[in-house]
Amino acid sequence: MKKILFWIGLSGLFFSGCLSGEKDVLRVGMELAYPPFEMTDTNGTPAGISVDMAYELGEYLGRPVQISNISFDGLIPSLKTGKIDMIISSMTITEERSRSVTFSNPYSKAYLALLLNRDSPVESVEDLNKKGRVIAVKKGTTGHLYAREKLPSARINVFDKESACVLEVVQGKADAFIYDQMTIFTQWQKNIKTTRAVLEPFQDDFEYWGIAMRKGDPKLHGQVNAFLLEFKKSGGFERLAEKYLSKEKEIFESLGIPFFFSP
Amino acid sequence: MGKHWYHCFLRENTREAPPRCPASLLNALLVGGVLLTLFAFAFSRLEYDFHWHGVWAYRSKFLQGLGMTLVISFFSLFVSFILGLLFALGQKSRILPLYFLSRYYVEIIRGTPLLVQILVFFYVIANAFHVHNRYVTGVMILSLFAGAYISEIIRAGIDSIGQTQWETGRSLGLTRFQLYRFIIFPQVFKRILPPLAGQLVSLIKDSSLLSIISVSEFTLNAQEVNAYTYSTLESYIPLALGYLVITYPISHWSKKLEKTFAYET
Amino acid sequence: MRLSIRQLTKYFEGKAVLDDISLELSDVHSLAVIGPSGGGKSTLLRIIAGLLVPETGKVAINGREIPVEEEYLRRYRMTIGMVFQSYNLFPHLTALENIVLPLQRVHHMGREEALSQSGRLLHRFGLSAHGHKKPALLSGGQKQRIAIARAVAIRPSFLLFDEPTSALDPEYTSEVLDVIEELREERKDLILVTHEMGFAKSVADHVLFLDEGKIVSSGTPSEIFENPAEKRLRVFLDKVLKY
Repeated sequence: MKKILFWIGLSGLFFSGCLSGEKDVLRVGMELAYPPFEMTDTNGTPAGISVDMAYELGEYLGRPVQISNISFDGLIPSLKTGKIDMIISSMTITEERSRSVTFSNPYSKAYLALLLNRDSPVESVEDLNKKGRVIAVKKGTTGHLYAREKLPSARINVFDKESACVLEVVQGKADAFIYDQMTIFTQWQKNIKTTRAVLEPFQDDFEYWGIAMRKGDPKLHGQVNAFLLEFKKSGGFERLAEKYLSKEKEIFESLGIPFFFSP
Repeated sequence: MGKHWYHCFLRENTREAPPRCPASLLNALLVGGVLLTLFAFAFSRLEYDFHWHGVWAYRSKFLQGLGMTLVISFFSLFVSFILGLLFALGQKSRILPLYFLSRYYVEIIRGTPLLVQILVFFYVIANAFHVHNRYVTGVMILSLFAGAYISEIIRAGIDSIGQTQWETGRSLGLTRFQLYRFIIFPQVFKRILPPLAGQLVSLIKDSSLLSIISVSEFTLNAQEVNAYTYSTLESYIPLALGYLVITYPISHWSKKLEKTFAYET
Repeated sequence: MRLSIRQLTKYFEGKAVLDDISLELSDVHSLAVIGPSGGGKSTLLRIIAGLLVPETGKVAINGREIPVEEEYLRRYRMTIGMVFQSYNLFPHLTALENIVLPLQRVHHMGREEALSQSGRLLHRFGLSAHGHKKPALLSGGQKQRIAIARAVAIRPSFLLFDEPTSALDPEYTSEVLDVIEELREERKDLILVTHEMGFAKSVADHVLFLDEGKIVSSGTPSEIFENPAEKRLRVFLDKVLKY
């Protein structure tokens, strides 16, 4: 019995050791699978607009930054369980998410677009809301939530990876993939023979991106909002767009489609 | 202690579980209690607010997923057993192409991740043959996967039957088919029952990987509920319990069946 | 029984286990084969049983040559009753089903007939009470008697015994030897590989002594046991009969 108590004590030490980290480090969670916002460079180091933003924020707060790569649907749970301090992962502010976490003021807006199979009869998002239509979505994204809410007649297939959704459309297993405009544009360009794209906005409102934090930390919340204001004023977003999105911006402007990364 | 310290740990070579007696019951409760305490402690240290009502609203989604997992596992078990049997016999075949086909099959399937097999099979092979039903394809992939392991289990079972049984069967004038049918397989089946039950349990759990091709089974449905409610633990704890509820009866049943088939005392 | 062996050779892993054996015997009913372990006794018996195919040479029994092609070999084996050293019963079948299986599946006897014939044999060997038992529940002597019943049930043209008592506890030896003795008295032809010299002497009407893959001596029991001419045979008998 003494031995058992010893082991319980030891495991207690182990668990508490896991939970306490260096308090000073700002742990930022994101899914490094959404270039050019969250990605890794060829050396595997985190890179992209959100990564640069995180480091700027760290500098502003005077705290070292640690980036954690977490799958998108695991981000909010990680935040809630205290594994990370905030999410900067092109996350749209939604009512449902706001029940679990607190969002900063929006720092960017975006909207959804459709990647369509070349032979699918679908022309617009209205065509999708019919029996027999198949929609591919990435689990937990706003595309997933939009389809569930607005397109109840269609069959919705849920995937872990964006690449699987694209393949579904390319092979005609799905009529459409609902995702953000920039990814749809990039994937359409890559699969120009097998796909079409609807890039014009079809939502009532833009989707606003925010930095997510745990509820009940007004101090950090205030600091982040102050940083965003400061960053915007100093032209930080323009610098990042110039660094990462110049080519895309040019193409979108030439097509006459509103470009989404505009704070 | 001393040289033979392990005598304190191991029971004598016996197939029986420890006898049912007050001491045994006390120990079972004690260990269960310690495990529960450990979990309770770990969860108490977790800064996490449980919101079960959000997940409870999706209970029918959990049940549908559980049902789908059962259906997929059932068909996969059936097909994988047939595949396993065929390829085990293939490995025993005198026809060399059959032998090599069986060897390649086993080595390729066992040597590559199921995840890759699912993706390649669904998006490349099934697509080339215009099979677009992800449920049919899912069952086929799982069957091929489990079939390789089952074929090895059966092959090892056949190899474990002593040469004297073959020789005796031959001396009585049995044909090769009759040898397998009446002498070898009845003995093999009894011996492979425990690993076969283990394989079935694995199969049920492995079916969760079909979620990557959006087969709406138990795991995917729980993940979706998680995505809707942002309640990870509330979604995954029922998932773990659900799998346990399916798999525990299998191991229990296999132990019973093992006893029924026991003819060596 | 007429037994004709001509220039028989069998190799195992490059070593000659039977080395150019020739033998002509006629009018033998029970042949005992003795000799040291590894001398080739069991190999010779397995060739006669159609379980092994020799590299060279021929064996003919009652004028019929043993075939080499598998399907003919199988049909040849159907006519022989073989009893092994370690009984080799099928552990998943009851004693009764062990006897019934070859009757029903190989000799295409109806199930009812196979059952009643097997039952009669069990009764004759004093095993009626044990027919429903799996082999694991039987003693060595009972197992071996079941094995003999299985071999006899198919009405073989002759019986082969491969050291039928070697694996038995001494207390069970006599009950098995009694059965073999009984079969000999019914003038069933049999070939017996054995270490029981006393039994070989009393049962056999011809004895072969095999050593190092060769037939060293061949003769009647009295020639072999009472006046051993060969030195190797004398040395062997001295050893086995010492205690």
